[in-house]
Amino acid sequence: MSAGDANRMDGVRLAVLAQRLQGIAKKMANTLLRSGRSGVLNIARDFSCCIVTSDHELVAAADSLPIHVLSGPDLMAAHMKATHPNLKPGDAFLHNSPYHGCSHPADHTILVPVLDGIGKHRFTVVAKAHQADCGNSVPTTYMGNARDVYEEGALIFPSVKVQSNYEHIHDVLRMCQLRIRVPEQWWGDYQAMLGAARIGERELVSLGEEIGWEALDSFASAFLDYSEQRARSEMRKLKKGTAVVTTVHDAIFPVMPKDGLPITAKVTTDPESATIEVDLTDNADCLPFGLNLSESCARTAAMIGVFNSLEASVPKNAGAFRRITVKLRENCVVGIPQHPTSCSVATTNLADRVASAVQMAMAEIDGTRGLAECGAPQAPSMAVVSGKHSTSGKPFVNQLFLGFSGGAAGAAADAWETICHVGNAGMSFLDSIELDELRQPILVKSRAFVLDSEGPGRHTGARSLEVEFGPLGTELEVAYVNDGNVNAARGVLGGSSGYLSNQLIRRADGSTEPAPQVGPILLQAGESVISFTAGGGGYGPAHDRPAADVAADVASGILSGERAAKVYRVATTGVGALDIAKTEALRIATK
Amino acid sequence: MRVAIDTGGTFTDLVVEVASGQYRMFKASTTPEDPIEGILNALRLAAREHEKSLEVFLGGVTQFIYGTTHPINAVLTGNVAKTAFFTTEGHPDVLTLREGGRPDAFDFSRASPKPYIPRALTWEVPGRIAASGSELAPLDAASVVRSIESAVERGVEAVAVCLLWSIINPAHELQVGELLKKHAPNLPFTLSHQLNPALREYRRASSAAINASLQPMMTRFLQSLETKLRAAGLGGRLDVITSQGGLVDAREAQSTPIHLLNSGPSMAPVAGRFFTSEVGASATAIVADTGGTTYDVSLVSDNTIPWTREMWVGEPYYGHMTGFPSIDVKSIGAGGGSIAWVDDGGMLRIGPQSAGSRPGPVCYSRGGTQPTVTDAAVVLGYVDAQFFLGGTMKLDLHAARLAMQRYVADPLGISVNDAAYAVLEVATENMAQAIEDLTVNQGIDPRKCQLIGGGGAAGLNSVAIAQRLKCPTLLIPQFGAAMSATGALLSNLSAFFQTTRFQSVRGFQSDVVSAVLHELTSKAMAFASANGATREQSTLSYSVEARYADQIWEIPLPFRPDNAGHVSADSLAQSFHREHTRIFGYEDAGSDIEFITWSVKVDCATYAQPKGRSFATYLDPVKPSSRSIYFRDVGEVVAPVYLFEALTGEEHIVGPAIVESSFTSIVINPHATARRDKAGSLEITIDNSAGEKA
Repeated sequence: MSAGDANRMDGVRLAVLAQRLQGIAKKMANTLLRSGRSGVLNIARDFSCCIVTSDHELVAAADSLPIHVLSGPDLMAAHMKATHPNLKPGDAFLHNSPYHGCSHPADHTILVPVLDGIGKHRFTVVAKAHQADCGNSVPTTYMGNARDVYEEGALIFPSVKVQSNYEHIHDVLRMCQLRIRVPEQWWGDYQAMLGAARIGERELVSLGEEIGWEALDSFASAFLDYSEQRARSEMRKLKKGTAVVTTVHDAIFPVMPKDGLPITAKVTTDPESATIEVDLTDNADCLPFGLNLSESCARTAAMIGVFNSLEASVPKNAGAFRRITVKLRENCVVGIPQHPTSCSVATTNLADRVASAVQMAMAEIDGTRGLAECGAPQAPSMAVVSGKHSTSGKPFVNQLFLGFSGGAAGAAADAWETICHVGNAGMSFLDSIELDELRQPILVKSRAFVLDSEGPGRHTGARSLEVEFGPLGTELEVAYVNDGNVNAARGVLGGSSGYLSNQLIRRADGSTEPAPQVGPILLQAGESVISFTAGGGGYGPAHDRPAADVAADVASGILSGERAAKVYRVATTGVGALDIAKTEALRIATK
Repeated sequence: MRVAIDTGGTFTDLVVEVASGQYRMFKASTTPEDPIEGILNALRLAAREHEKSLEVFLGGVTQFIYGTTHPINAVLTGNVAKTAFFTTEGHPDVLTLREGGRPDAFDFSRASPKPYIPRALTWEVPGRIAASGSELAPLDAASVVRSIESAVERGVEAVAVCLLWSIINPAHELQVGELLKKHAPNLPFTLSHQLNPALREYRRASSAAINASLQPMMTRFLQSLETKLRAAGLGGRLDVITSQGGLVDAREAQSTPIHLLNSGPSMAPVAGRFFTSEVGASATAIVADTGGTTYDVSLVSDNTIPWTREMWVGEPYYGHMTGFPSIDVKSIGAGGGSIAWVDDGGMLRIGPQSAGSRPGPVCYSRGGTQPTVTDAAVVLGYVDAQFFLGGTMKLDLHAARLAMQRYVADPLGISVNDAAYAVLEVATENMAQAIEDLTVNQGIDPRKCQLIGGGGAAGLNSVAIAQRLKCPTLLIPQFGAAMSATGALLSNLSAFFQTTRFQSVRGFQSDVVSAVLHELTSKAMAFASANGATREQSTLSYSVEARYADQIWEIPLPFRPDNAGHVSADSLAQSFHREHTRIFGYEDAGSDIEFITWSVKVDCATYAQPKGRSFATYLDPVKPSSRSIYFRDVGEVVAPVYLFEALTGEEHIVGPAIVESSFTSIVINPHATARRDKAGSLEITIDNSAGEKA
């Protein structure tokens, strides 16, 4: 067979094997999602499953949160190999060190090396899931005010062996069970992760034995080349340019500048070399708080902004990543942190601001690409609530996923409204009101989008979701950190900002008063919290939105006729029929 | 005599049970403007075959079974009644918010889907029931009356009512129902707790919304169907096929048309179960139905057909959830019409674009220019260009080859034959993945399953799919091309009843559970006797949705109460641990187990299930002909071509070979052998030790 022959078959074998590998990642994800315990895992889908080559290159991931998986599995697999050069079948490692490739300490990760019949390391399978608790000094997995990892208190596992010869190493597990709150839940999730990784291992071994390990290796490398080629083709279609975008995180902790913490991304596209560079070095040094990004999250957040701006079917793996350079610097708040810097909240707040800045820069460079800014997380409708059942006196603690929105408008379409936050990308499930009222003594009085709260633009950003809930016959602690009270999600290319987030308390007499931006707050029976999510920014000028779309929004009852006329310059009658003549007059007056 | 009709997008299939276990198949074109005309046309074909007038033929029909894709198409195209949504005050966006989730994290080319009923046709109902069932705020009847008047003024044609916790205390929903009857007596309405008493308000609301929106149209249609069939001479009963794979009386279906949504595909596994039980070799069968645009996969496991609670109309997350359990059918956009193309990374892709029936594959000469899976089959000689549909349609082999050359062979730098082979190979892989998706969810290993191939295009690559999945055997039923209608004749009248009652192993209340089971049993038996079934003819299957404490997703757990109608926490716990291990690979013996929704399905075997099957050869045995076909590993070979109907069961067919009928062409790949079994199906044995390498 000539070299040409080998290439020729690749297009066919690639298609077949790419499906097989993707199928294995899917099987892992299905096991983890369906059998996991904590809400953050099986409702927010805060997990990932992927396959990494023996050279530590990410090949395939499935159904995973973007912030989990683009960069990180590679770094963790490399760390596992560096610390355990003699890998054996039956080994499994626990990893959550943000200084060695993990996103943040709450994301426990199981790494299982996949070996062939003669003991050669071929792949590493990775299953990672956000835990309900990770042993922090206070009962939260997002400890924004931690000065460092010591105050944070999480147990850190830098590639620690937890199984040998497929048997548990109980010494380590006993430590976890004494340190981690709700140990039964942790143990359930731990088994689910291990189960997922072992299924991945079993399937890869059977594939390797079926087609031959060398063939599988050459497929993996061909698939990465193919993915790079897809990314290259997409990048060739981009406009050339550089854009610098700054977005501001609200000043929610005393160590932050009082006008908020600016996050800047400089993005350069070069269609000739088919590359994109994201530079995050022009940002503040690490601060003594828990919002610093880990290296994994800084790289991943930048790449999310890039991939959100490319055609969706480009594979997200190490092949495509070759076309993207992310410049980071050490000891930077969105860079490479050094021990003992705390990265407790690395997957959300600043990561979201980075991803948004990058996708906005992409829009500014090429007006057919990119997105506006996504609304900041997380309103009290995503709070961790705790208290005691009034009848049994039994304590409860649980994270609610009662309400989120925040989706940014894009170049091609209106927002996916329930995006949750950029790094979640809308993968999260939303709690059923009945299920939440069944699990804990709460009453959800209302859950509805606010009228006229969309981020105006040619394409509109998500509306704000208003959720009111409170305890039923008991008191309730509600813990949350609600960014976006001050700095709204920005529009791009003439699009307007999204709705500001907010939070109020309703007292028993029905009166309302502002609640603090950072919880926890304690509610008495009869009281409730009213939570407003941050909406998403708009894309392009509002007066460019097709008049028929505006009229349809009015007709379907999500936009008022007044706002249609004032913001979009579209006149409608009665139930939302378009008044063409008046609209033309309004729109001419705007230009 | 019993007959079954399945109205599909292109053809109306009719299967007639001539004698117990013996069937005849007829096909007429579907007539979309008046589907009843297509039905009558198919019946006329059958009457002529029996040398009877239509009236005499229909007069001899004791049971007429009907299945249709009509309601699902109506929902997909939005061609349904203008429907109002009545919801608990403060919760107008239940249908917009759904349950979150998104299919592709990086696809920003599509916005959030619109709700099934817009906010402008949503009315909020003041009043609130708590999770405990107690009333926190009374229903405001005056406000409801104003809402009804306002809805009538907006010209709504149906109303869906879903209030929070109506499954625990239905008082408010019932009151709204009374007010609707009084103030809008001609407006059909659906109360969520009566239609679908399940936890999770979105699923219940979506059930009610879809059902209400179909009520006016389906009531008219089913009435008209019955009137016309009676006028044409039908004397027997008229039943329709449900998404749950059973039958209900057509009049009963008028108020619950949502049950007809998956009416066609749900029957394929029923047919599959029938054929597999004859062989009895493997406990699990995978039933695949290959159409022109979709590939539907379902399972039969231990003689039962797995269900899903998550049936979507349209794509998951973009479409609408029915909220009902349905036979678990996984559907992917891969069929004979799927288009083959090479992307800019040099990878061969099949679909998701489809040439459909218009313009159709290139070889149909109806204006199609891009090569499809069917074109690949023609190029490879798998389908005889001269003998398609019994020679009634000539195919253009030359055009198919040119298209394959231009769009696949040249970009990949391979021969036309290799290109066509690769197209089938990738289609095979896509289909195999669809099967694995389904089996993985159920914890089933395809290597221990029999594959059953139905649908007109099944024969092209079913052997290849079986080889890829290492299934030991493949079965192509004689009536595979009308799988759904055949399944309908093998189905029982059945109904499904459920109740939500929370229990856990540690706090198990035996008396409460026994009362629930008693109530379900009474409902099931009432259904059976209303349909003329005796106790002996009725089979009751109980199931409960269960999970470990703190898990979010339940798994259905079948169980059998003892003779006194009780079940113990201990036996439920043991079987739950087993089931969890089977699906997810581990059990958590230390954990409590929660039980949510209890259900019973009743099957009434009012006709005698055929015992042992026989088949008639309609033709005298003929010598096989031969033609040249292509496989990549063996190249061009002259293979024998057998006529399906002429096989006696004595022939031992060794691949490569083709078995052909006027409805289908079955490729027997190398390393596979075939013979006709006692039921008339083609049974293909796969030699997995010599399977092709990927």
